Amino acid sequence: MNRSMIIYVLGTVLKLTGIFLFIPVICSLIYHEQEGLPFFVTGLCSVGLGTLATLHKPENTVFFLREGCIATALSWILLSIVGAVPFFLTGEIPSFLDALFETVSGFTTTGASILPDVEAMSKTALLWRSFTHWIGGMGVLVFLLAIIPMTGGGTINLMRAESPGPSVGKLVPKIRYTARILYGIYMVLTVSMLIILIISGMPVFDSICTSLGTAGTGGFGVKSDSVASYSGILQWIVTIFMILFGINFNGYYLLLQKEWKKALSMEEIRAYLLIIVSATAIITVNVADRFSSIGDALTAAAFQVGSIITTTGFSTVDFDKWPDLSRGILVLLMFIGACAGSTGGGIKVSRILFLFKNTRHQIFAYLHPKSVRPIKMDGHTSDNETIMGIQSFFAAYLLIFVCSIFPLLACGSDLITSFTAVAATINNIGPGLGAVGPMNNFADLNCISKIVLIFDMLAGRLELFPLLVLFSPAIWNEFKK
Amino acid sequence: MFHFKSLHTRTKPPLKCIIVGSGKVGNALIDVLGREGNDITLIDQDPSKIEEVTGTYDIMGIVGNGASFRVQEDAGVKEADLLIAVTESDELNLLCCTVARHAAKCATIARVRTPDYSVEANYLRDQLGLAMVINPELSAAQEISRLLTIPGALEVSSFAHGQAQLIKIQLSAGSPALGMTVAEYSQTYNDPLLFCAIERNNQVHMANGNFLFREGDIVAFVCQYRQRHICLEHLGITSGAVHNCLIVGGGRASYYLAKNLLANNISVKIIERDRKRCEFLSDDLSDAVIICGDGTDETLLQEEGLPSAEAFVPLTGMDEENVILTLHAKHVSSAKVVTKVNRFSFKDVIRSLDLGSVIYPRYLTAEAIIAYARARRESLDSNKIVTLSQLYDRQVECIEFFIDEPSDITHRPIRELSLKNDLIIAFINRHGRVLFPLGDDTIEVGDSVMIVTTHKGFSDITDIMD
Repeated sequence: MNRSMIIYVLGTVLKLTGIFLFIPVICSLIYHEQEGLPFFVTGLCSVGLGTLATLHKPENTVFFLREGCIATALSWILLSIVGAVPFFLTGEIPSFLDALFETVSGFTTTGASILPDVEAMSKTALLWRSFTHWIGGMGVLVFLLAIIPMTGGGTINLMRAESPGPSVGKLVPKIRYTARILYGIYMVLTVSMLIILIISGMPVFDSICTSLGTAGTGGFGVKSDSVASYSGILQWIVTIFMILFGINFNGYYLLLQKEWKKALSMEEIRAYLLIIVSATAIITVNVADRFSSIGDALTAAAFQVGSIITTTGFSTVDFDKWPDLSRGILVLLMFIGACAGSTGGGIKVSRILFLFKNTRHQIFAYLHPKSVRPIKMDGHTSDNETIMGIQSFFAAYLLIFVCSIFPLLACGSDLITSFTAVAATINNIGPGLGAVGPMNNFADLNCISKIVLIFDMLAGRLELFPLLVLFSPAIWNEFKK
Repeated sequence: MFHFKSLHTRTKPPLKCIIVGSGKVGNALIDVLGREGNDITLIDQDPSKIEEVTGTYDIMGIVGNGASFRVQEDAGVKEADLLIAVTESDELNLLCCTVARHAAKCATIARVRTPDYSVEANYLRDQLGLAMVINPELSAAQEISRLLTIPGALEVSSFAHGQAQLIKIQLSAGSPALGMTVAEYSQTYNDPLLFCAIERNNQVHMANGNFLFREGDIVAFVCQYRQRHICLEHLGITSGAVHNCLIVGGGRASYYLAKNLLANNISVKIIERDRKRCEFLSDDLSDAVIICGDGTDETLLQEEGLPSAEAFVPLTGMDEENVILTLHAKHVSSAKVVTKVNRFSFKDVIRSLDLGSVIYPRYLTAEAIIAYARARRESLDSNKIVTLSQLYDRQVECIEFFIDEPSDITHRPIRELSLKNDLIIAFINRHGRVLFPLGDDTIEVGDSVMIVTTHKGFSDITDIMD
């Protein structure tokens, strides 16, 4: 195993994190807040340590999938720990475990918070929380690939390990430019949202944090009631942008290439939009009697559906109080998640589509045992390995899901709370139902539950296997050598 | 100091290349073209191959039939600068190129290796509008026959339309050059040659006047084609050219080699396992002796006169067999042996075996394509790079530039040019006359100039200026 290359990547991530930490420092200077200092110190230390680790450029730059997975998983763990330090140092989150939970929740774009009173936080800390969403949404290693020239072709393995979706395709032959295009689209969408929000009358600071949180499909707000207190127009803007950020970015690239037809005929995007429309329609009808007008019901339903399916996790109403049909649909949407290749989490629409197609295929195979019929996606025949990969992903997903519920139950949470807490973290959504519902938070859970949920968030963001690889003893034996 | 010139050369836009077929040649091309910083898209029908190659190289992969325009469009043929078709089948390669040429006006290179077509390679190229037709087996055969006709040579490349040759030899114990510096040697013999580079202990040095020759040095020099024998004799290589050659394996490369050797009046014996192939060969190569048998059989080799052979070329399909046969031949005979190695991995092992002349057909092909790609990157209709060849494990590049327009370097005495370090102007070819330049000579429009350098990526003659 190429240990020096992994250390080099980790060092670079450390440097980058340090530089990111200076962003809230700027904010603290603008608002004259004391909290900037711990951020500055942490950032400085981080850059220093990272520079030390990258002083020696490894000669052997060979990089296989194994190195990619390990480097990615360790980078995310490192990133979370460094990101949590300033919260702890400022004293705004007194327990380090809580600070870690909050940071992991930020980077994995979950948006599950342990803060009882968000509005009491300094603006510096709030901006950092939202910024972790933004960088975590597209991925810190993709960012790294975009700005730092990495030699050796194996670097695609970093992207494979970090990017969501069953298969990672490049947009252009060079990975560096692929990463740049992705971040370019991401940046343009974020800035357009920011401008539209400001024009529509949201305060500038709120607009920045909300845009960052929406772009990463994260869900940390700057208010205790999330987005509820903003006007209907602002809620619709957020709804639309949440849905936009949940679309496969390959679609945007096709649009840039003026391949309208291809972009609009992507099966995944069509299925995604269809699910959103039907879920919104059903919920609107279901909850109509609780709102003064059907328009209000539609606004609330669309917002909640968009927020849950893209795994953002903003909320405008306490949907925990909605009828069971609506709650059931929302829980289902939690699992489906956004499109592959977007910033959202969950199982991903494309995987669900595959599972459906595969089931149909199996039924057909029962009727015609000797039939030969490929599973097609966007007109391309899917090879067996992709299908196997999706099936094993699904199996591992269920396994982790079930195993995570029991520690929570053992610690005294009720079934609905445990089930939705795990669902909300492994799918990177944020709020669940019951004690972790949209108007509550994760603060009351005990240590063990929080550790389990931290693991779930990371596993969900990295799509299980890159993180699970760390638990293979063979890897550690080799690493020690 | 900041070198604006070098900054400028770096910002040349990369060439967008499409490679069809992920065989061994395809992968070699990905390696070398990628190293030059080009954008590469690979098309292959086998998804697992695409998966494998995209995991190793920074390229994009497309699964599909490369001759289908829809697939080519997916690969971006409309914006592409160059399409290279290197699938197993000649016909498919030609079809890929024809489609790309006519539907997208893309420059194309096809691999055509069947002897039937390769005779008509130029006709095909012109009629189908291809930029180049490549035939790795044929270039390997040509290289081997050049090596066999020049005694002692480890590597030979031709420049200036064959007027000049770059020859690489190893200085053995009795060589008169030992103990002399480069300058002393030139004074003593006054030979029409120019030393370019010397490899000692796996390190390559550019030749300068003070360099002292030692035993075992691997020396590369340029000389005129007609005078190469005098040059070699003075350097202590006394053996004459070979008169007979034993070839093991009767594949395409041996067919081309046999044709070439027979044309040079060298008698040829081919040992081939397959009866049908033997019949074909004996039919087509009536002057050669064709033996049907197992070429890896020690007794058969002895019976067919390996110990007394003057040249021995193992050309089986397997590198392992070729290497073993070479080692065996070195052991039992004093024949000149040329080993063809297809695979490029395990190079260190092959180096350490001291096999003598080793040729890598894939990289011979790749050199021609790099020359084309670099020149094309410079300007669309360029033929500025006549020949390019890489020596010493790609540490040294020899490039022959055609001077088609006046620039900073033309019409000025060479001593006034501020040239980069580690660079030699090896010769100037003026209207078919090769001259080794002195300080007062000038480079004129219409000349072709050969540069030997350890710098990489020169694509224009002005790159030699500091």
